[in-house]
Amino acid sequence: VSLKNILAVALGIFSAIGGFVDIGDLVFNTQAGATFGFQLLWVVVIGVLGIIVYSEMCGRVSAVAQRPVFDLVRERTGFGAGLATLIASEIVNLMTCAAEIGGVAICLQLLSGLPYRLLIPIAVVGLAVSSWVLPFRWIERVFGYLGLCLLVFAVAAIKLHPDWSQVAHGFVPGSHAGGTLMVYLYFAVGLLGAAMTPYEVYFYSSGVVEDRWGMKDLGLNRVTAMIGYALGGFLSFALMIVAAVLFLPNGISPQFLGTPALAAGHVMGQVGLLLALIGVLFAVGGAAIETSFAGAYNLAQFFGWKWGKKERPAGAPRFTLSWLVIFALALLVVMTGFDPVKLTEYSVIFSVVALPLTYLPILLVANDHTYMGENVNGKLANFLGVLYFIVILLIAVAAIPLMMLTNGGQG
Amino acid sequence: MGILFALVGAGCGSGGRLETKDLLQQSKSLQSLAAEGALLAQDAASGKTTRIYTQEHSSDLFQAASQAEASLKLAETGSALGPQLRQLSVLAGQVSADLERLAIASNEEQRMLTGELEAAARACQEIGEALT
Repeated sequence: VSLKNILAVALGIFSAIGGFVDIGDLVFNTQAGATFGFQLLWVVVIGVLGIIVYSEMCGRVSAVAQRPVFDLVRERTGFGAGLATLIASEIVNLMTCAAEIGGVAICLQLLSGLPYRLLIPIAVVGLAVSSWVLPFRWIERVFGYLGLCLLVFAVAAIKLHPDWSQVAHGFVPGSHAGGTLMVYLYFAVGLLGAAMTPYEVYFYSSGVVEDRWGMKDLGLNRVTAMIGYALGGFLSFALMIVAAVLFLPNGISPQFLGTPALAAGHVMGQVGLLLALIGVLFAVGGAAIETSFAGAYNLAQFFGWKWGKKERPAGAPRFTLSWLVIFALALLVVMTGFDPVKLTEYSVIFSVVALPLTYLPILLVANDHTYMGENVNGKLANFLGVLYFIVILLIAVAAIPLMMLTNGGQG
Repeated sequence: MGILFALVGAGCGSGGRLETKDLLQQSKSLQSLAAEGALLAQDAASGKTTRIYTQEHSSDLFQAASQAEASLKLAETGSALGPQLRQLSVLAGQVSADLERLAIASNEEQRMLTGELEAAARACQEIGEALT
């Protein structure tokens, strides 16, 4: 193992940590912490383990088959089921992209003082230019590394001196003091949905092909998925702990994207506040690019178009047009005046409904010797894959009824 | 998408006849806005926030409090809940005014607003407790 390889793994892990948190994680982790304290930390563990299991699986599928997951989804499940998966994932991608763009505009507003509505198109143009100009690897790095500013929340969580025994209790499922069982379950579903968002696996698997990973990179795939997502999960813990210690006792129910940054400023002053805002800006901006690309990857792979950032924009025109159209549609959605936080809640809950359509084909292909040869799922991967698929089915059925019964978690 | 718009539409109502549960929700929401405003004012007075952040975030809080105030003023309720509705309506007006001032307040005013908003948050909490 050369120093260069270690560095490559470390850089991959850093960008995965910085890129782990998106607007869904920010909204649901802080709201859950402000409502139930530490009691839902265990759900984050389950969600992070789930995204590790399926990201490793789809990364392996892409590296072995040298084809991205959505390409195989259509071939393995047929046109009808593939089309249903495509439509569901495109709707969720668009909603998520719109929410992330709204989040970018809010961060820019809190940093610059310029009007929100002016900043929405500026944000979209900035993201589109970055997507056009930067190579794939640099998109991951720039947004991932600057997203690491979110580590300020980990420092804030420690400096707020939480009762660590209570924090430890939060990793064990149990009581739901602070709200009704329905609200508790709503947040559990939302936290799982935020951790296991479909666009993440589509982007990850296409990234494997973009980065030209092959059989020799299966170890790198495993390490990146396991360590990157696991460490990224610590940011989710930090957000929930900060909200539990600072917001819950004061009766603050975070309704704005600027609220988590207030906690960082409270603990570390202006430097903490600015680091938090920059971290959120790049984490959410990176996620906006990922969602637009995930949507374009899915379309191109389903219809067999030339795709990828490895091509020049003019070399894959329909792929390029697709992500530009997704940005444009997301811009229209945000400009209608939808509150990005509310849009996030809806996009996460609707993504939960679409989760089985995303994850079942991955599980099927990862078990298919025709594609995978000797690299099919082992016993552990299959056990966890099936277990998580059952969990996914249950939360997919419960998501919308819980949202309606609890008025979006308000009780 | 149709379901989405229906759900959003359902959540956009204002005013109307409030039951105990609705009033409790309003008191919690107003308590949250007042408490967050108090924290922001305290941090702004201590130099922990930037001027732009204080202006923009207090403006967001102000808009939400103004909407709550308008909604409470239009609302009706049974005679048993009338006093709480009136109290909440007055508090919403105070919180809204405090948050509007916070955007342009001097350090000394920020400290004063911290106390006022904390008091408003406590008053909302007491109303909420009386309703449960």
